[in-house]
Amino acid sequence: MDALLRRFRPEQLRELILLLVIVGMVVFFATQIDQYLAARPVNRITTGLAITAVVAVGQVLVVLTRNIDLSVGSSVGLVAYVVGTLLTRWTEMPPLVAVGLSVGIGVLLGAINGLLVAYGRVPSIIATLGTLALYRVVLVEFSGAKTVTTADLPDWLNDIPSANVASFEGYDLRVMVAVALVAVIIGQLMLRYLSFGRRLYAIGSNPDAARVSGLPARRDVFLAFTLCGALAGLAGFMFLVRFGNITVTAAQGLELQVVAAVVVGGVAIAGGSGSMVGAFMGVLLIEILQQSLLRWAEISEFVKDAILGLLILLAVATDTVVLGRLRERWVRIRRRDQEERLAAAPGEAADVR
Amino acid sequence: MKFRSTVAAGMSAALLVGMLGGAVSAQDPVVATPGQDVKMMLLPKFLGILPFDQANQGAMEAATELANPSAFDFVGPTAENSVAGQIEFMTNAPTGGYKVVMLSNNAGDQIGPVAAAAVAAGTKVVTWDSPIPTAEGESVFIAQVDFTETGKVMADMALSILGEDGGKFAILSASPDAANQNAWIAAMQEALASDPKYAGLELLETVYGDDQSEKSYEQAQALLSKYPDMELIMAPTSVGIVAAAKALQDEGLCDSVKVSGLGVPAEMVEYTLNGCAPEFALWSFVDLGYLTYYVSYLIGSGALQGAEGEVFKVGRPISGNDTFTITKDPTRDAGLRVLMGPFTVYNAENVEAAAK
Amino acid sequence: MSADIRRRLIGWEGLLLVFLVVVLGFNMATNPRYLEIGNQVNLFTLGIEKSIVILVMAFVIMTGEIDLSVASMMGLAAAVVAALFEQGVPMEIAVLVALAVGLGFGLINGFFVAIVGIPSLAVTLAGYIGFRGLARLLVEDRSVGSFPDWFTALGQDGLLGPITGPMLLYLVMAILAVTIMHFTGFGRSTIVIGNSVSVARFSGVRVARVKIAIFAASGLIAALAGVLIAARLGAVRASTADGFELDIITVVLLGGVSIFGGSGTMIGVLLSSILVLNLRNGLVIAGITGNTQTGIIGLLLILSVLVPNLVGAGRERFRRRAADRAAPPPGTSGEGVSVRPSGG
Repeated sequence: MDALLRRFRPEQLRELILLLVIVGMVVFFATQIDQYLAARPVNRITTGLAITAVVAVGQVLVVLTRNIDLSVGSSVGLVAYVVGTLLTRWTEMPPLVAVGLSVGIGVLLGAINGLLVAYGRVPSIIATLGTLALYRVVLVEFSGAKTVTTADLPDWLNDIPSANVASFEGYDLRVMVAVALVAVIIGQLMLRYLSFGRRLYAIGSNPDAARVSGLPARRDVFLAFTLCGALAGLAGFMFLVRFGNITVTAAQGLELQVVAAVVVGGVAIAGGSGSMVGAFMGVLLIEILQQSLLRWAEISEFVKDAILGLLILLAVATDTVVLGRLRERWVRIRRRDQEERLAAAPGEAADVR
Repeated sequence: MKFRSTVAAGMSAALLVGMLGGAVSAQDPVVATPGQDVKMMLLPKFLGILPFDQANQGAMEAATELANPSAFDFVGPTAENSVAGQIEFMTNAPTGGYKVVMLSNNAGDQIGPVAAAAVAAGTKVVTWDSPIPTAEGESVFIAQVDFTETGKVMADMALSILGEDGGKFAILSASPDAANQNAWIAAMQEALASDPKYAGLELLETVYGDDQSEKSYEQAQALLSKYPDMELIMAPTSVGIVAAAKALQDEGLCDSVKVSGLGVPAEMVEYTLNGCAPEFALWSFVDLGYLTYYVSYLIGSGALQGAEGEVFKVGRPISGNDTFTITKDPTRDAGLRVLMGPFTVYNAENVEAAAK
Repeated sequence: MSADIRRRLIGWEGLLLVFLVVVLGFNMATNPRYLEIGNQVNLFTLGIEKSIVILVMAFVIMTGEIDLSVASMMGLAAAVVAALFEQGVPMEIAVLVALAVGLGFGLINGFFVAIVGIPSLAVTLAGYIGFRGLARLLVEDRSVGSFPDWFTALGQDGLLGPITGPMLLYLVMAILAVTIMHFTGFGRSTIVIGNSVSVARFSGVRVARVKIAIFAASGLIAALAGVLIAARLGAVRASTADGFELDIITVVLLGGVSIFGGSGTMIGVLLSSILVLNLRNGLVIAGITGNTQTGIIGLLLILSVLVPNLVGAGRERFRRRAADRAAPPPGTSGEGVSVRPSGG
């Protein structure tokens, strides 16, 4: 453990802790549920978490800047409905145009949020609570009470959910899951290697300092919301593809699911710390928990949510406590190492930071 | 105490009037006088789904026919605020000057006291699609079909899909609080228990998709994982039935597992033709809206008292019938109803015509 | 600086007052029966449980935390009352147990937030799911009713003329809330914590204790509100009060309490409660659908912050330009009426 702590900061070990919690959970359910690790159930669960994961990637960008986007559920629903309706009228629409349109509408919705927060200086929770309601109103008015049904959608769309990128003995890597993974990886790389990504952390750690030191904080926050909208748009398209039948309540409540995943994944709600990989772990944890509870024959339909709440609390508490211990130990090790080094070479003390 | 005796007196008076009305109307059904100004509110569970929109069309047809100058207001709460929102609309209806509220109740018994208060303040309450279980404050319930029969129809469809030997099935319902779905499920269980014809049908579990496509879809998938020997999903909800059919289709399992229940033909046509959902049932929401508006207009204008035995005539026949009677509702402990009916069972032969 | 804060607050409350006058004017113009006692009673009765929880939510948000579990707690308390009543437990005891459950879970929330140090959003999100789950477990798919007459009378009948017991209770609690927040040491601690936890620690505020007390109060009062809604509606289902948390938080934010804590006033919160109640009443009577109502409140929420900000920014630019022309001594650049939270 000490050796690990010499190489990594505790926050970097967080993903490892979460991974262990998830593995423990999967092992437990495997002993409880018949055929839990068989190909079909695994495919169902992995496909199910793709949409949440894509939205979570966008949410991380926003949360890092000490903001939040509660409108994502309504955005996903609105995009799925509007693009779905357009596809039923213009069935010849090329697939790429449909995807582009989804992302485009998402960008527009995200940019409205971004304008309000970054340039209108409206606190993000207020702005996006407002647009959460407003985007849903637009959807209800636009819908005229018609449901988008799979029958009216072009065939290529209905074939996507079961389409594979790769398959190994029945275990599929579905296109939707691949898209989610790519989004997570690109997001992680962006946070690591792009100066835009690094700036998001700086803005979130201390917005005032970031502004004073001349970072384009407003533009970056605006961009973060716009990107979040774009990803919500993409997720809206995936939602349309997966569920096919879209009503005015589509994706209602998704925002809380995503925020829960992001927070469980260790992204600080006060901004400035967290990673895409962590958030993805959060998505894994919550989605696997939910899906597994649905399938666990030991518990009735009515106990499910009580257990889910308890398990989320337990998972977060374990994570927090273990991380706290690690941090204490890390500080102690660093101090001891520093003292040893000082003792060994007093002359270089000035270079040691 | 005082309040109660007044209510009792009012009720017996109503009963008396009802009996008289019944006696007279045996030969002479009540007919509406068009052109009267009766301000009415059509209050569905929430706005934005097809069945309620069809009911609205039916109500508009009746409003035009009856030349009611104030027609009616089609309002509703948001889906996530359905219960509190309906109670809010009901509470404020007398202040808004409404004579009648036409309610598809989503608030269960919780709307009872509020409905009673509205009646005391001069607003009548006519329910449709989903009644107030205790009938508190309700003049009459316009029942789309007989709720006991719904259970039998679902059991019959299950038998016709699975064959006479039956098989294992699960129910995918709306929410645990949906009064009409609960009544239908109870009626189906009752039918399964009482009629040896259904002995082969085994109900595995009842799960809920909260009338959201995504939740219903995931519930259907979970059922497939949980019960590999399940042969049928019965979904007495228009949202759940399409979501379950889509889940089966995506899994490529339509050969071994089928879907049935209550659905809108326009949304179901694809799954019925490809065999995922060979049979399902529904009534006409347009007719239901039409009949509800007619009854409400008659009650609001004072032509009907909302009493047992009253007979009345509507402007156009509904499934060949244009004369209806207010009777006791045998499916509830209290309350009156007008029974519309009948069910239409849809299959590959008639679904395309109905979908248009 | 304090003059600046005062100006800001007056500005906010002034704005809410203007909104309120507009809404009242609209209601009186569109509905002659708006001012009738019956309608006024209806208007308050419909939102009384939310209004009560709003008072305590203001304290929670003032410390910079959030409690997403309140509506689920309301549902759980109602379900506890219903389940015990079904078992034949006397109603008085059932109510006490429900309140104890609220207090207990409130303490647990407080423990995880203040002692373990988990973000309140995560803790209360777990409560939001879990408490609703427990309510579901207790009453399953049933609708429990037929409560004793005295219990339903509590929620439905007038106690003082047409004014119901819960309305009187709310009045007392509102006065208490204003007093505690602005005229006691506890209120000052609450606000200091919201401004900066480290400053609070340095100045001797027992941060953990205050936070636990507030979360416990939040649980208890949410449970009380749950009991009251059970009495008013006369029946309990597991979904009772579902989704109320967003309405409650919306009103507190509209009242001018910063989501980051540390600023806002109880008066603003009371004003925004009354504003939203009247607005909904007017819209419902005018036959406006629920979606449009929600949209209008969402728009109001955004505009209440956006408009002063834009006005402030415009004024600042104007002042700066004027100041440039007059070539003032350095360091006197005017502070705008920015309503942006400090983000401590």
